[in-house]
Amino acid sequence: MSSGLRLVAALSLFGALYAGFAPGLQSASAEDANGLSAAAAEGKQIFDNSCISCHGRNAEGVPDRGPSLIGVGSAAVEFQVATGRMPMARQEAQAERKTPHYTREQAAQIGQYIQELGGGPQLPSGEKLRLTEEQDLAKGGELFRINCSSCHAFGGGGGALSSGKFAPTLEHASDRDMYAAMLTGPQNMPVFGDSQLTPEEKMQIIGYIQNLKSDQDPGGWGLGRLGPTSEGVAIFLIGIVGIVLATLWIAGKS
Amino acid sequence: MSTHVPDGQEPFDVEDPALTRFDLVREGARRDGVEIVHYKPRFPVPGTKVERRIERSIALMLVLCGLFALAFVVAYIWWPWEYKTGANINKWYTPVLGFTLGMSLVLLAVAIITWGKKLLPEEISVQERHEGASTPDEAALTAATIGNMGDELGIQRRPLLKAAVLLPGLGLGAAAVAPLVGGLIRSPHEPDAIFFETGFNPKFNHGQPVRLVREDGTPIRPEEVSVGGQMTVFPGIPGGATNKWADSPTLLIHLRPEDAAITLENAKPVNEGAQWGNFVAYSKICTHAGCPASLYEQQTNRLLCPCHQSQFNITDNARPIFGPASRSLPQLPIGRDAEGYFIATSDYRVAVGPAFWERP
Amino acid sequence: MKRRKIDLAALPGASAREVDERLQVATPLRRLFNKVFPDHWSFLLGEIALYSFIVLLLTGTFLTLFFDPSMAEVKYNGSFVPLRGIEMTKAYETALNISFDVRGGLIMRQMHHWAALLFMAAIVVHMFRVFFTGAFRKPRELNWIIGVLLFWMGFTEGFAGYSLPDDALSGTGLRIASAIMLSIPVAGTWITTSLFGGEFPGTEILPRLYIVHVLLLPGVLLALIAAHMGLLVKQKHTQWPGPGRTNSNVVGVRMFPGFAVKAGGFFMLVFGVIALMGGLLQINPIWLFGPYEAAVVSAASQPDWYVMFLDGSTRLMPAWEIRAFGYTIPALLWPTLVLPAFLTILPLIYPFIEARFLKDRASHHLLQRPRDVPFRTALGAMSIAFYMVLALSGGNDVIADKFHISLNAMTWAGRIGLLIAPPLAYFITYRICLGLQQHDREVLAHGVETGIIRRLPDGRFMEVHQPLSPVDEHGHPTELPYAGWVVPKKMNRLGAVAPAIRGFFFPIEKPAPPQPPAGPAEVETPERDEVTSGHR
Repeated sequence: MSSGLRLVAALSLFGALYAGFAPGLQSASAEDANGLSAAAAEGKQIFDNSCISCHGRNAEGVPDRGPSLIGVGSAAVEFQVATGRMPMARQEAQAERKTPHYTREQAAQIGQYIQELGGGPQLPSGEKLRLTEEQDLAKGGELFRINCSSCHAFGGGGGALSSGKFAPTLEHASDRDMYAAMLTGPQNMPVFGDSQLTPEEKMQIIGYIQNLKSDQDPGGWGLGRLGPTSEGVAIFLIGIVGIVLATLWIAGKS
Repeated sequence: MSTHVPDGQEPFDVEDPALTRFDLVREGARRDGVEIVHYKPRFPVPGTKVERRIERSIALMLVLCGLFALAFVVAYIWWPWEYKTGANINKWYTPVLGFTLGMSLVLLAVAIITWGKKLLPEEISVQERHEGASTPDEAALTAATIGNMGDELGIQRRPLLKAAVLLPGLGLGAAAVAPLVGGLIRSPHEPDAIFFETGFNPKFNHGQPVRLVREDGTPIRPEEVSVGGQMTVFPGIPGGATNKWADSPTLLIHLRPEDAAITLENAKPVNEGAQWGNFVAYSKICTHAGCPASLYEQQTNRLLCPCHQSQFNITDNARPIFGPASRSLPQLPIGRDAEGYFIATSDYRVAVGPAFWERP
Repeated sequence: MKRRKIDLAALPGASAREVDERLQVATPLRRLFNKVFPDHWSFLLGEIALYSFIVLLLTGTFLTLFFDPSMAEVKYNGSFVPLRGIEMTKAYETALNISFDVRGGLIMRQMHHWAALLFMAAIVVHMFRVFFTGAFRKPRELNWIIGVLLFWMGFTEGFAGYSLPDDALSGTGLRIASAIMLSIPVAGTWITTSLFGGEFPGTEILPRLYIVHVLLLPGVLLALIAAHMGLLVKQKHTQWPGPGRTNSNVVGVRMFPGFAVKAGGFFMLVFGVIALMGGLLQINPIWLFGPYEAAVVSAASQPDWYVMFLDGSTRLMPAWEIRAFGYTIPALLWPTLVLPAFLTILPLIYPFIEARFLKDRASHHLLQRPRDVPFRTALGAMSIAFYMVLALSGGNDVIADKFHISLNAMTWAGRIGLLIAPPLAYFITYRICLGLQQHDREVLAHGVETGIIRRLPDGRFMEVHQPLSPVDEHGHPTELPYAGWVVPKKMNRLGAVAPAIRGFFFPIEKPAPPQPPAGPAEVETPERDEVTSGHR
């Protein structure tokens, strides 16, 4: 019951934030000849410069090069562009995170363009999309373990998928990146739409992950939180090598 | 009394005042089969510079060892240690304990070993091994003693006892094993089908079809699973999401329409009618070793098991296409009840989980 | 006034006499003090395992005071915030409490775990030493067998301990263990339901594993270790060949004080390393894994390193399931039960096979340099290659992820590597051994390479060798026989510029002629080899 109330509260909060910002964006934009807002027009310009070669005119896609972006929504665009995955350097098994080519504002502009072309999921506004109260952490952790850890691993370090694909590390992921990824299911990641994981649940998961990332390991250096593999390497490289070097000294004649 | 004459050696008088203590040491070692062939004090002239330097460094290490040990106790008592999230001084509790204790022990080790290496006399001793078997005489005497035991018992002469002795041997042996085996043994066929049924069997829901529910027990409508999304579902019975029903976790997948069509077309007879619309549900328990096979790649429609990397093709009956798994993931036949929630129309049609002997 | 009645100075002697009158220990005690131990770094490897075991007993006892293996469900309400309010078993809750709510509990847990990894690692490294030097040969076959058993007991003990906290990782491991038991033909389901008290996971398995982990297996390990060391004392230590060392003596230092001081220091060192690792390197962060739930798993789910080779064999095994007459033999059986069975039996009988093959019935107390027995060294290298491929495959998903290699390619590399790497290792090792042997013989025949190139009158260049033996009238050195020990190959191993730390790697011990009994103050001038003398 309380979670329902909190959900309503969270939703109304973000609704209010959105109402506060969105009209400003809207009103500032005189619609141009294509019926696009000013932000979208900016976005169209970037799109026509950089994206059109793979995603085609009006984002309708080019066979064997890039998919149609109609209906993917601004969330997907923002995720791909703001994390540097798009534009791709070359065609490969999986686009990787790299230094972004465009700023977040530019990414948002392209997103606005795609949004106005074909609609689709959108991100809530704001930088901090996380809930970090005590019960949120516990709930987020539970959801993380059942939905996320199988690919991204218990420490959020990512893991291998079939044939060269992989689930990326969450180390550099911002709240918005993770929210967008859940919402849109980039590449091979399953989609977790708002009806499947509510916005509140998404923010609980993000809260858990951000807490996980910022929480100092209580037992010393975490060895990359890779589990028994790195522990096995450590016992030989540090434990056995160290002690064997000591045996050379102990048994050596002085 | 004090004169002892070892074989072929000169008499040795322990109380001879002319003997030094080291002579006694040497003689003792000799009687133990040990010849001290090289023995040299490191510092024949006491108090040289080198010796004092070594003494000082050992003393320093011992002092540091004690200080680190004290630091350990101080940190143990006064360092804040309760868990607090984030990066804070409390998180250094364990590292500080480990560092102080470890340094204390390592310094003690180095001090002791340096003492042994630098201050103890150089020594080479040779000990005889007394290699090989016992002398033939000894062996013969022991053999006779053992043989005599048999004669005394007279087992050979008394065939009745020989036979009768066997029975308590067997009986008590069996009696020793029986409680262990009998206490532990549990039939896998009692109730008959524990390996063949899951919580989705209607018999656990008063004969009604079992709903698919989330971990928190809430039922699921089709529109709640995103296209290209997956959801871990459990049987909607009391405790259905607990480890009591460890065979029941199921992966509900909402395929894209084109993939759903291929899946429907590929369906093997055992999976006829299991698909509902664009939704399929496969057992999450890997048919190889029982891990949750849950790494779903929504574009390639592969499912990967993180334990041994078996890969299953979702659009083809969840057939294994790579890795050690040899059986398809069982498909759960699903439908929708009157209220619009997902249900399992029946239990799994084949046993879920890893293979075993009795499984056809 | 009377002074004290008890003469303090005479007290030790008097009490010793009292003890001896009752126990008659003077002779056996002195015999023990005087026992001679050879000194070489490789003889200390087994001690690492022994000392780790002592640390395991100490830390383990501490942990039992706070751990409860019950599988009853509770709601967590401890200090670790991200898990508060989560349903979990009592076992997991108490394991968390040890980590966060018992003062100093975390370092004890971590030291216990690191000590367990070190125990197993030391056993394996010690086993390599024993194998490659031929220390397992007659009369020590029984101790070799005990050693193999110790490995498998430690393996089981470790796995039981890994399973106890009931976190998601250990629960996954336990589930795989249950699948492995299920794969046993005919009796698999019976064994599984009997051990688990019904279907997996049930509520019985952790309390049962607990008593196995804290009572049964430690008892067995203790008994085996006692037997292992009892045999060592009885049969005396092997030694490397060298001056004065024969098959029927032991050359070294007496146990007290020389050897005991070093051993005591070494114990403290091993203890210290474990404490450092336990405090500075986090191991098995169970609070990140969450409680075990059948539907939960993490990428990179691995067992501890000593089980990883079996995880690897399971990953590499092709999907060969046998189905006939309505019955099934799962593919899981071969890599997880049949393979370990072979890996147990082969080493158990290896000493006897080798002796039979070589028609060798003699007792051996002198070790062999690995290069001198190329086939055995090559066999060992082959086994290590086999093992390494399996162990690396046990972590192949982590390797694939961190080094950006295709997971499927890693699996295939493992499958092919398992067939190719061992024979390759055998061949290469065999060649290396022969090469080293040949070089030893060359040096013995011609002397040490000096690095000085001299031009002969006829224009040829040749390197000057420093002969190790006296030269004959033509200036040719007489060929020295190979003594089974290190041949000096560099000038600085000879004479005045001999290594500053003598015997750092190779203890060079020269027995002096037996001295007439004299005081401990005797001074002996060390005999140095002179380069100029050409005599050794």
